[in-house]
Amino acid sequence: MNQHASTRYRLRPLAVFSLLALAALPAAAQQPPATGGDPSQAPNGAGGGIAREKSFPQIAAGKWSGPRLADGQPDVQGHWSNTISNHSNFTDPQGGIVNDPNPRMRATGPRAERAPSRISDPPDGLVPFQPWAAEKVKDFQANFNNPTKPEYIEPLARCAPAGVPKSFYWHGYEIRQYPGYVLILFNSGYRLIHLDGKPHLAENIKLWNADSRGHWEGNTLVVDVTNNNGKALFGRSGEFASENAHIEERYIFSPDNKRYNYVATITDPAVYTRPFTVTIPARRWTDDEKPNGWHYETEVNTTGKKPIVERYERICFENNIGFGQVASGGKK
Amino acid sequence: MKFDLKQTSLPSSTATAVAAGLLALSLATAAAAAAGPKVPRSADGKPDFSGIWQTTSAADYDLEPHSARKDAPPGPGVVEGNAIPYLPKALAQKQKNFETRETADPRLKGWSLSVPRQVYYPEPFQILQRPRDVTIVSQFGYSVRTIHTNGTNHPTGDTHEFWLGDSRGHWEGDTLVVDVTDFNDETWLDRAGNYHSDALHVVERWQFLDANTIEYKATVEDPKVFSRPWNLDVILYRHREKNFQLIEDYRYTVDWEPYYPPKP
Repeated sequence: MNQHASTRYRLRPLAVFSLLALAALPAAAQQPPATGGDPSQAPNGAGGGIAREKSFPQIAAGKWSGPRLADGQPDVQGHWSNTISNHSNFTDPQGGIVNDPNPRMRATGPRAERAPSRISDPPDGLVPFQPWAAEKVKDFQANFNNPTKPEYIEPLARCAPAGVPKSFYWHGYEIRQYPGYVLILFNSGYRLIHLDGKPHLAENIKLWNADSRGHWEGNTLVVDVTNNNGKALFGRSGEFASENAHIEERYIFSPDNKRYNYVATITDPAVYTRPFTVTIPARRWTDDEKPNGWHYETEVNTTGKKPIVERYERICFENNIGFGQVASGGKK
Repeated sequence: MKFDLKQTSLPSSTATAVAAGLLALSLATAAAAAAGPKVPRSADGKPDFSGIWQTTSAADYDLEPHSARKDAPPGPGVVEGNAIPYLPKALAQKQKNFETRETADPRLKGWSLSVPRQVYYPEPFQILQRPRDVTIVSQFGYSVRTIHTNGTNHPTGDTHEFWLGDSRGHWEGDTLVVDVTDFNDETWLDRAGNYHSDALHVVERWQFLDANTIEYKATVEDPKVFSRPWNLDVILYRHREKNFQLIEDYRYTVDWEPYYPPKP
């Protein structure tokens, strides 16, 4: 029995929406261990209510006047999560899984009433795929709900690291900073962003979470991402980058240190007809907010007078068996 | 230092000068020994273990002394007293593990190594240190261990069976003492099938020998497996190669990763 199984959270259904932004996995899928009822899977999308933000503030790049660490970095440490849905649908994040066989899970209502595409440029909100790549995505979408080949299984379902940029819209995460490093602990895997000016790894080394070299410009963490293996995909709608992708990220933090926008331009001449930009809004979680098992996956340590929020280990792969099988209940 | 000056044939003024010099030297040496080696320190004065570390010992192949095997280099052992004090039934299980180690070692599946194996596994790990915690990122695997140094105790409430255990540390002088509990029983202690139950309890002691060398000691206790606590001791060296960094090592994706991403 692991910690995930012993945590219980109360779901708060939202009255407002009937559509399901955060759809369940198809029946054949093996999901990573949920914390006693994954709020992201609930009808009407629970998860603290922020999973269903339909719009978000733009944040201007500029000076930083907030707290700083001893080495001069803006201090943005803490617990963060995205504010719009999960990885079910890249271009219509609250639109549910493409071709979802369960009618209750499908989006209803006009597109304009849902959050915008994660693609902020080009303005049509679609990935500018070359024809061969667009065909592959269509093929994935046609087979995702009944995968008969391994390539139709979304790799996060196998506990693969979520990669770039998918890690930012799968569960909450924690940012820790040190001289020369920003460490981001995701639900699936971690990224260590090097601020030390050293070169990237050799080109032939390809990694799930890529290789990241960054620096601060005022309120913006600018990160150059290469050595991506392209295997994580962007989510359940099957969009992808290749192992040649080059990603330029900008994490633009608001002056009150409560939000940031992740704005990343992805260049990959083997897959796209032009570079495109992904924008993912994020918000900070604080000590006085209750852990909710998805966006704010923390625990409270009650040793001293003041409860301290902490994050437990993230273990996925070890707790799961072969894909396509169903776990039986009951304690060991 | 003691010198028998009567044995020399120096003139007395030189002898006095030599004696004074020796006295000054021995005082300085004593002072240096009392202060300890010069090591990196955090702003709060504590030794700062930040950096990338790795053991050169053969501990992960077999904690106990062993000669060369087809699947392991020899090693003098890192266990105090050489033999791990198993309870009789547990020793039988260990033998069984040893015989099936080529397939049964959980590391072959890419499973998290847990504590203390992650410290002496023959791949580098990175320590990132803040006042409130020490974070250990292992190159092998994908799990990150947090040693809380903020005065908190192990969590209460539900029984926890963590893969990495729960680590709470405090400083005793320049030694980081870490108490690790709340383990599951799924991991091994090395490739030779040395193992533990969910009653495992490890007390680690991390101390600089010099700025680029850490001595790591662990007291391992498990009343379901061992007849008494026992100690192990390894030395960790700082990686100083130019531009050295950890490189992701996930084994568990290897079988199915060729299916992604789509190719033209």
